[in-house]
This record gives sequence, structure tokens and C-alpha cells, in this order.
Amino acid sequence: MTDAPRDDKGGTDAKAPPEPDEERRADPGEDGEPRLRRAEDELRARFAEELEESEETQERIGISKEAIVELDDVSLAFDRPILEHVSLVARRGETIVIAGESGTGKSTTLKLILRLLRPDSGRVIVDGEVLNDVTYEEALVIRQKMGMVFQGAALFDSMSVFENVAFPLREHTALTEDEILARVREKLEFVDLEPDRVMDQLPAELSGGMKKRVGIARGMAVNPAIMLYDEPTSGLDPLTTGTITRLIMKLQRELKVTSVVVSHDIRSAFRMATKIALLAEKRIVFFGSPEDMTASQDRYVQDFLGGV
Amino acid sequence: MQHTGLRLPVTGPLSLGQRLAGILSDINDGAKMRVLAVQEYFGLAGKAIRFIFARPFYIGDVVQQMDAIGVESLGIVLLTGFFTGMVLALQTSVQMAQFGATMYIGRLVTASMVRELGPVLAAILVAGRVGSGIAAQIGSMRVTEQIDALNTLGVDPIKKLVVPRLVAALIMMPMLTVLSDTVGIGGGNVIATAYVGIPTGLYWRTVWEQIASGGFILHYIPTDFVQGLIKPFVFGGIIAITGCYFGINTKGGTEGVGNATTRTVVVASVLILVVDYFLTQVLLFMFG
Repeated sequence: MTDAPRDDKGGTDAKAPPEPDEERRADPGEDGEPRLRRAEDELRARFAEELEESEETQERIGISKEAIVELDDVSLAFDRPILEHVSLVARRGETIVIAGESGTGKSTTLKLILRLLRPDSGRVIVDGEVLNDVTYEEALVIRQKMGMVFQGAALFDSMSVFENVAFPLREHTALTEDEILARVREKLEFVDLEPDRVMDQLPAELSGGMKKRVGIARGMAVNPAIMLYDEPTSGLDPLTTGTITRLIMKLQRELKVTSVVVSHDIRSAFRMATKIALLAEKRIVFFGSPEDMTASQDRYVQDFLGGV
Repeated sequence: MQHTGLRLPVTGPLSLGQRLAGILSDINDGAKMRVLAVQEYFGLAGKAIRFIFARPFYIGDVVQQMDAIGVESLGIVLLTGFFTGMVLALQTSVQMAQFGATMYIGRLVTASMVRELGPVLAAILVAGRVGSGIAAQIGSMRVTEQIDALNTLGVDPIKKLVVPRLVAALIMMPMLTVLSDTVGIGGGNVIATAYVGIPTGLYWRTVWEQIASGGFILHYIPTDFVQGLIKPFVFGGIIAITGCYFGINTKGGTEGVGNATTRTVVVASVLILVVDYFLTQVLLFMFG
């Protein structure tokens, strides 16, 4: 598994060297073994030049080395196990896609990041704060760093589009009404909607794709550092799917937002992801760049990609 | 066919002891679920009451809910109050005529309306109209992930959704009850005058006699009024919390929303009648 850098067009460099951190995650049981460390050092020395180059490329496109979302050996069970020993790191500016079959715990992962759920074991860290022990009130404050786009958009149906996008601004900022109006217009334009046409409409009057875009505008209204998407392209036609995928990429490219996307749409995942995590049987069976995923010899990974 | 060597476990008919243990286990699980539900209900009520005094205050939402709970229920509450007063006067006139005491119709109608029928009938009507509406609205928000959206936007759904409805119900229920009582006594007046032939002046004098007979609190407030206003205040809380509780705990899509509304009406109505009895006992003990 390697961590390949992306170029500006969203492509990746398949020749990128394996990153030591990734290697450690791949086999945590032997972490700390002298033999493994030596091998790691040798690899680092051998690919030092390329590694430096890849980090530069990543920095150029807005991906830093700093982890902003981290799941560390997380397990969760309700009446049956949902996730077992799941580890995942999203660095600032990255777009991570969590893929997998239905019912494998993809959306649960997002709920853990939002601290809507607490893990039974392991740690969830967001922007340096361990979420396991925070109170409900503290979690409400931490959530302001994140914007969430729901599968069905989850717009407040009693409010107009303007009221929906303005909602988090009214709740968490001291902006004046004029400033709120300006911010709402800016966000709606960012998601390619005409503010004058849609602002007064109710969510019921919008198409599925427009609802998703308003959902993105609402999620990014307070300029969060992290955006979370739950199946952003499900139920949409191919053209609208492309539009939403491009929007997520635009957010990363222009605003350097870290995105965690839950999706089983592997085509969109390949377009937008810097890394893909594949969940199966309650565990992450693959975590790496789209190119590594294509090159993987794992039978399950290949079966999952069968449709691509 | 290749033999796997596996055998199905041999199971015979369950013994009486095993069946009894199964039934007891089911009863145990059911009881635990109900105790948990009661605990959650009171937990929600406690949080909502505490949050009434905590920032942020959603004044706009409170006013909007006062309109939905109070103003929009006014017509139905006044209509039923008026007819209840009329039927009370009609029934008592028949009974009183046997003793030649029809002049006391006003007293009876007033006592019944102010102490019991006004608060209880208005509350049951509002539980049906408003409680079900609250459960349906919040339940729909639950199944369409709007409550999760509130949470992810850093807003506590109890503060945003439950508290405004609770405050509005606490304010509007006593107001609706006062109006229902007044219109009910007015309805009694119509029957007493038109059907029994009691002069309007005499009717209202007996009404006042009844109100004054219980004594006054702080020299000016009739005790009957205090009793008649404490009840709708409590009933308002029951309606709002029950609607919100079943709304927030809605599961299973549109069918779940339907179930939530039905349960709200049934549970709120039963709670109103049960609490009414105990509240009456307490109030009679306090005020006589």
C-alpha cells in the first residue's frame, strides 16, 4: 500500500515510494521491531529524493503532513460488532473516500468522527482533540469545525434555501444580516446555484442534485476545515453525479478543505480521492491511493473494483 | 453424497420449566424497556425545563409555536367549550328542576367548567390537535435526518425543538383554558336564559357567588382560578413533552411517524386524565 501524491488535475503518481507511516499501519503487530525499522530506514534512504518530491507536490496542492482526522484502532458494537480495530488517518487537505458494501459501517465511521457515537475502544481524534471523553456540549462546539452533507441532504424543510444556508451563521457567528446575505450568496454561487433564483425556494421545490448542492453550501457556510459527505452521489443521474464530484474536488483545490466521503460509487471515488479506505467485514481491508487500489492483488479488492 | 460428519442438535419439546423461564425472560425484557422509556421521558422533561433558562433563547421559535399551539387551536377549543357549557346547563336544569333549584345552574356550570371540564377538555383537544402535530413534525425531522443535521451543525435539538414547544404550551394552555371556561359559562347562560328562563343578571350573580365561595389568594385572585390555571399549565407540559418524546424517538420511516402521532395522542390523553386526578387531590388538600 502506498501513499501516492496527486497532481493538480487529480491524477496520481504511481511510482511514488511507500510512506513509512503507511507501512506501520499496514502491520501494527510488528511496529517497533528493529528489523522492520531497519528496512524502513533503508526504504526511506533509497526513495528519499522521490519522497521529498512527493511531499512537495502534496504541499503544493494543499495537503499537509498534519493529521486532522484520525481513527486509532477503533472498535464499535451494538447488538453485533460494527467496526473492529479500524485505523484511518486523513491529513489536512486530503480527500479520503470510505468505500465498501452496504452495511459495512461506512456511515457509522462518519458518526464516530462527528461524535454522534462513541467507540467501545480506540480513539477518535479531530483536529488534535480526542473525542472519546468530550461531553455532549463540548462535542457541539467541536462539530462547528466540520460540515456534514447528508445522503438525503437533510435540509430543514420548513425553511427556505436562504434560511437553511444562513442557519449555521446565525447560530455560531455574530455576522450582521447584510453579511449573512453576502455569505449565503457566495456559498450558493460556489456550488453553482443562482442565488436570486433559489434563495426563496423551499427544499421541496428543488431537484435532488440542487438539494445536495444546497446541503454542501450549508455545510461549508461557516468555512469548516473538514467536510464530511454521506453518499453524496447516491440516487443521482450520471451528469449530476459528475457535478457533485467536481464540487467536492473544487472544495479541496480552492479552499484546501479536508474531505471524508462515504460512498460506494467507486468511479467518483477514483476521481476525487487522494486515498481510498475499503471497509469489509467490519475492518479496513485496503487503505491507499486509487492507483494502489487498482494495482492491488487482493482478491476482495479486485472483486470490488470489478465494476470499474 | 459425501458425509460431512456434522449433525443437527437434537431438540425435543420444551419442558414446562423452560417455557416458564422463556415467558419470564420476555416479561423481564419488556419491563426493562418500559422502565427505560419512562426514564428517558423524564430525562427529556428535566433537560427541557433546565434549558428554558439557558442560552441561546429561541424567542422567534417560541412565538411561532405559540401561534401554532395557541392561536390555531382557539377555534376548536372555544367551540367545544361553548357546547360543553350548554350541555352542562341543560343536564343540570333537568336535575335541578326536581328540587326547584334551577337558579343554581350558574354555580354548577361554573364549578364544573373552571375546576374540571375547562382544563381537561381543552387539554385533551390540544393533545389531539397539537401533540400529534408536534410528534409528526419532529418525527419527520428524525426520519429525514434533520435532527442529525441540527446536531452536526452544533445545535442541541432539545434547545431548538423541544424548549420552544414546551414554553409555548406552558403559556398558551392556561390562556386557552380561561377562554374555554368563559365561553362555556357563556354557553350555560344561553341555555339558562333561553331554555330554563333564568334572567341573565341572576345567572351571572350565581356565577360570581361560586367563584367567590372558594375564597381569594392575595385578596384578589379567586382560589378556583388558581386551581383552574395550575392544571392547564401542567397539562401543557405533558402535551409538549409527550409529542417531542415520541417525535424524537421515531423509528422506521413514514410508518414510524404515524405510530409516533398515535402514541402521542393516546399517552398524552391518558396522562392528562391520570395526572388530573392526583393534581385535584393535591389542590383540594392545599386550597380546600
